[in-house]
Amino acid sequence: MSMLRGFLILVLFFLLGEALRLVFLVPVSGGVLGMILMTFTLMLRGRVSDALASSSQALISILVLLIMPGVVGVFFMASQFSGQWLAVAAALLLGTFLSVLSTLLLMKGVMRLSAREQGHD
Amino acid sequence: MTELMERFVAVPDALSASPLFAVGLTLSAFFAGSWLFARIGKPLWMPPVVLSAVILAVVIAVLSVDYHSYQDGSKWITLLLGPATVALGIPLYQQIHHIRALWIPIVVTLPIAATLAAVYAVVIAWAMGATPEVLASLAPKSVTAPIAIGITEQLGGSVPLLMGGLLITGVVATLFVDLLARWLPVEDERILGFALGLNGHAIGTARAFEISHTAGAFASLGMGLTGVFTALMLPLVFRL
Repeated sequence: MSMLRGFLILVLFFLLGEALRLVFLVPVSGGVLGMILMTFTLMLRGRVSDALASSSQALISILVLLIMPGVVGVFFMASQFSGQWLAVAAALLLGTFLSVLSTLLLMKGVMRLSAREQGHD
Repeated sequence: MTELMERFVAVPDALSASPLFAVGLTLSAFFAGSWLFARIGKPLWMPPVVLSAVILAVVIAVLSVDYHSYQDGSKWITLLLGPATVALGIPLYQQIHHIRALWIPIVVTLPIAATLAAVYAVVIAWAMGATPEVLASLAPKSVTAPIAIGITEQLGGSVPLLMGGLLITGVVATLFVDLLARWLPVEDERILGFALGLNGHAIGTARAFEISHTAGAFASLGMGLTGVFTALMLPLVFRL
């Protein structure tokens, strides 16, 4: 029962997100808007109810199942993007290498700078 | 007797008309994939979703189920992605106190690094002649799947292509973080965790939890913030 109550809260936040998307024509999915609203609501309340914690845990633990129908489509679209596979592969491999490198250098640099700043104070 | 055979042969077609057929098929492949993943020792380079999806694809092909009728039926499963995305707000809230400890580096790094993760991929693919649909499918490649699916649908990309890109990105981001951590070098677990979650979404976060609990917490935070930031930023950029 308590898990179902938590599920209802998640569905209501999702519907609220969808409603906001439709009313204000924001190009962001209702799920993401619902997630942002959920995070802010919890920050204001300062705690997570057991019902919400258990049903969100349950849904998160089956995320793999929920994305499977999308993933399996990869095997049934072979011809659709023919001629672009090299571009896709380069974007994924080189792009990810560069973005990992940028993140590490940036984070390391900013942490060193802000640590020095605090040292001065 | 031949009539019985005829009816027997017609069973898969008749059953596949019900969404429960697609649901049963997906659930079976999910459990088979999870079992196989545990059996081969939970390797990092092989996310369980790949095993499950391969099993599912083989079963669909062998039973010669019509792929579009499978897609129709599986909507009953993907329907739950909406509330599941909302559910990601709960762990995000639970990790948010880490921001207070290190808020300057996080607030400075996150928008730049999350933007770069999308920009590098889009620019490389664009320079090599990819179509707008492919670009829209690759842009959210560092974002966790439920959020990324929502982004790609808003941008007009292909969800299956996005899913393939997400999986490859997650695996190679994990490898590159390990490699570059030694090269640069970076030893701070908080930086490594943050980079894993930001670039490698759930697959990187799983790796971060193997490094340490702190790395895992920062990866969850990086993954959550990247998802929110990218979901808000990409649709605005693509409109221009």
